[in-house]
Amino acid sequence: MNNVLLNKKGSRLFLTLVLFFLCSQSVSALDVPPLKGRVNDYAGILAPATVRQLEEVLQRFEATESTQIVLLTVPSLDGASLEDFSLRVVEAWQPGQAKLDNSALLLIAKNDRKLRIEVGYGLEGRLTDLVSGRIIRDIITPRFKEGNFDQGVIDGISAMMATVKGEFAATTGKQGPDNSVDPESLLISLLVFFSILGRMLTRTPWLAAGIGAIIAPLFGALALGLGSLWLLALAVLGFVGGLIAASIAGTAGSSLSRRGYRGRTGGFGRGSSGGFSGGGGRFGGGGASGGW
Amino acid sequence: MKRIMTLGTLLLLLTCILTSCGYNSLQTKEETVFKAWSDIESTLQRRADLIPNLVATVKGYAQHEQETLQQVIEARSRATSIQLSPADLSNPAAMEQLQAAQGELSSALSRLMVVVERYPELKANQGFLDLQNQLEGTENRINVARQRYNEAVEIFNGSIRRLPESLTNKFLLHLEKKEYFKAEEGAKTAPKVTF
Repeated sequence: MNNVLLNKKGSRLFLTLVLFFLCSQSVSALDVPPLKGRVNDYAGILAPATVRQLEEVLQRFEATESTQIVLLTVPSLDGASLEDFSLRVVEAWQPGQAKLDNSALLLIAKNDRKLRIEVGYGLEGRLTDLVSGRIIRDIITPRFKEGNFDQGVIDGISAMMATVKGEFAATTGKQGPDNSVDPESLLISLLVFFSILGRMLTRTPWLAAGIGAIIAPLFGALALGLGSLWLLALAVLGFVGGLIAASIAGTAGSSLSRRGYRGRTGGFGRGSSGGFSGGGGRFGGGGASGGW
Repeated sequence: MKRIMTLGTLLLLLTCILTSCGYNSLQTKEETVFKAWSDIESTLQRRADLIPNLVATVKGYAQHEQETLQQVIEARSRATSIQLSPADLSNPAAMEQLQAAQGELSSALSRLMVVVERYPELKANQGFLDLQNQLEGTENRINVARQRYNEAVEIFNGSIRRLPESLTNKFLLHLEKKEYFKAEEGAKTAPKVTF
């Protein structure tokens, strides 16, 4: 029962943290549009059939290669610098798998007549600035000059895919960003710990709470290398956990640890249910820009 | 038994105070600054590595631009001769010197790119276009690396001045404030390298 309680606490804390980070991001001239899918045609320069085709091709590509290629078209940059905006987009969307950083963005600003290929760290070896520049210069812009956006984008994306093909193999299952802590495993190990502690200190729940408040953040800092906010939260969790564990051990005194493990099935995983999201790839400004 | 427990609790309390007073996090933040700086250095090196090729290519088409080319070569050798050690990041004079040298190289390069405008054959050369893409990409990487470095410095400098980390730093760590890597003076006025 207190497992549920703790889980709720954990997810609420998580939500608060997420909200905090969202609010602390500065708002700038041209906002990054929300990520709709692999093809984000906000400028409306592509035919619906092209969008569907690209979406499908890119999805298949990701399934075999784990590399994510994302397209964004915007009507105008509103005076923002192309490189600046492009970097903000990939920092917000974070396409590619964490640790592999295997992704690229094709950004097209219609009215500015500018485009850019932004390349993640993991693909910089293949899709170099030089190759990106050639794709823009020799493959995409000639089509754009004719006004044939569909063909230009299709050819460009195909060239990008051909360039990076074979660089990464598909990974089994999508991975979330690795630096984020799995709150469940953390809670479970804490629960096991508390059940033992609680049984030891049945008579003195406040001492148990105190020890819990000390050991939980210590464990977080040493074993998981968490930041100070997490540590503070863990101290509170530890205090409450110690208290609860002590009282439960006093009354029922039994199978808390086993119950703790059962809770594992109800987790919140990253959306693998058809929706598309970035996986935490990082970018360092690689790629090339061009215009038509 | 009881004594061991109180001793253990005290020990834990001490460790906790140390961990939550920024003893570890300050050092992590400083390490982030060093890492960000090494990224800047590698992008600057990347730019320096591109220049000999660029000069050679331009030379083939634009013999009359010896002076501009010479300036680029000299600026490059001055810029590459200045390297900062991690300790120099807290040294305003050293940082100033490096920024000046790199800024000079940037403006020499932009002058070269303006001059190149007069040579249509050069501008149609595939090799030159490739080099130009690489140069632009590198300049962009330098910008990104600089931004990230400055962000890391901001976080670090902020935290060594804030309580309770400031106390930890004052009594235990003695880490120094880091210098920002400012945008080059010339970069604001220099003609933009776009074609």
